[in-house]
Amino acid sequence: MINTIINYIADNLINEPLDDDLEPEDDLLGSGIVDSMGMMRLIAFIENEYDLKVAPDEMVIENFMTVENIVEYITTKNKQQ
Amino acid sequence: MFIYTLHHLLENSAEKHPQSIAFRYLSEQISYQELNEKSDQIAHQLRLLNIKKGDRVGIYMPRCLHTVISVYGILKAGAAYVPLDPFSPISRTAFVVNDCNLEVVLTTKKQTKKIEKIALESPVLKSIVGIEESSTLQNVSWESVFKLSTDNFESENVLDDDIAYILYTSGSTGTPKGIVHTHRSGLQFVKLTTSLYNISNTDVIAMHAPLHFDPSTLGIFSAIYAGSTTVIVSDAETKMPKSLATLISDKKITIWFSVPLALIQLLRNGLVTKENGDSLRWVLFSGEVFITKYLKEVMQIWTQAKFSNIYGPTELNQCTYYNLETPPVNNDPIPIGYVWDNSEFKIIDANDKEVASGNIGELVVRSSTMMKGYWNNKQLTQKSFFIQEVVPGIPQVFYRTGDQVKLNDKGELLYLGRNDRQVKIRGYRIEIDEVENTINNHPNVVEAAVIVVQTNNENSLVAFVVAQNKSNLNSSELISFSKKHLPIYAVPNEVIILDDFPRTSSGKISRKQLKSTLISD
Repeated sequence: MINTIINYIADNLINEPLDDDLEPEDDLLGSGIVDSMGMMRLIAFIENEYDLKVAPDEMVIENFMTVENIVEYITTKNKQQ
Repeated sequence: MFIYTLHHLLENSAEKHPQSIAFRYLSEQISYQELNEKSDQIAHQLRLLNIKKGDRVGIYMPRCLHTVISVYGILKAGAAYVPLDPFSPISRTAFVVNDCNLEVVLTTKKQTKKIEKIALESPVLKSIVGIEESSTLQNVSWESVFKLSTDNFESENVLDDDIAYILYTSGSTGTPKGIVHTHRSGLQFVKLTTSLYNISNTDVIAMHAPLHFDPSTLGIFSAIYAGSTTVIVSDAETKMPKSLATLISDKKITIWFSVPLALIQLLRNGLVTKENGDSLRWVLFSGEVFITKYLKEVMQIWTQAKFSNIYGPTELNQCTYYNLETPPVNNDPIPIGYVWDNSEFKIIDANDKEVASGNIGELVVRSSTMMKGYWNNKQLTQKSFFIQEVVPGIPQVFYRTGDQVKLNDKGELLYLGRNDRQVKIRGYRIEIDEVENTINNHPNVVEAAVIVVQTNNENSLVAFVVAQNKSNLNSSELISFSKKHLPIYAVPNEVIILDDFPRTSSGKISRKQLKSTLISD
């Protein structure tokens, strides 16, 4: 899951080539790696890929700051379903 | 005290209410007194780095408290601040550093690698404040700046006609242009907004715009004049709708100011609610047209707030406003309204003659909030002004907005579009020619044509490109090339490679036909 998300971000959403590879703990939101339209695309990708619906109340920094956070969010969400 | 510069605003308010909170950012905060002292320390440091009155100093950092301390520190040193978008490509930032000759840039530790790259392309850059080590650059840490003594510190003798800040925006030649504002034009904006929205020391203002975007001056300067608190919205909060909605309620925002899109994103996710808008007194928006049906929906929920449609290119700060206390009755576009105090306007035709009342023409505005000109670009500055002489040698200067307007029968101005190739995407101003010229600079591109398409009421860019024979140029290569040279909002969403362009009978690229190929797909 980590690699699928990292690859999607790296191939579709990154603004400028990074010096190093994207790491699971890199800050996606504060660093400018992904912009606000990019975040909306990433959410759509996750909904599609993992067959879930991100509720508006779940669109918070804590769930989407890093790829690690995203994976944790998806895992918890899947357990609930 | 007699206030005639932007840093006088802080010095005056720090004396009146030293312990009030000037800025909040996430869980951090800074009082007026602390802001005043720390900005003195920055000014002192800048003098040690040989910054003199009239110089320019860059601010290269994501949103944080250091941005505003830096703004006031630079002004107190008698210099002008130049915000550098931390998310802009290196080559574009290096261009700005060279264009206005920035010898010193204030930054944060996390930007170290990027600033080293910029320095490789910018030989003018001598010292960096805010990083801790660098093999190539002279540097000073924030820690040592905030240990400096400010005993006997006195601000420079700055006049209100001196340059206070330069904001860079898209230029049609393919490189950004710097819009120069003085302490006077900035201060007039402060006084006019404070009176128009009745800003006071009980207000909490949300600053959604980044530093390089002119609406930031409301939170940075007007709030300080009024003695209120500004909440700097973090980059992360601007990207996560629920976090942004929480900020509005938790921080008890009374004045909200953003591009319409930020509110539309909240609305679409059901995050505009009675509860979270409880404390809002004013909702201000600018940068692009707020689609009336969405505006109505927001206003029907946040009923206690007044709304204001603010219009004005960065060259004028703000210049017109249209206030609404109740939702619009139909879905017609709302007017841009009336020019504010200490301003006048004309609507002129292609021959610079005033049009008859009710007819369409270009809006030209004369205002105390107008820029001084474009940095180091006399030709463009002259071209952008409409000059009327009272008597020979005594000019009255109007700024040509390039916007088509007309007056309705109530005497309100209606915005009807551009008369050139400038577009707004997510509130950011983009010259289509800049995007085309950038793509044309790719060695394997023969010619490029960029068009604007609208999907779900939002603009996006599509580039059509004719490539050199056998170059195997593909669209992803051109997208990454654009990302290296253009800010992200100006990068085309799609690049389509063609063998040749459809042409009009006179041989020009037929943009109409290009557009129709997209629609028929």
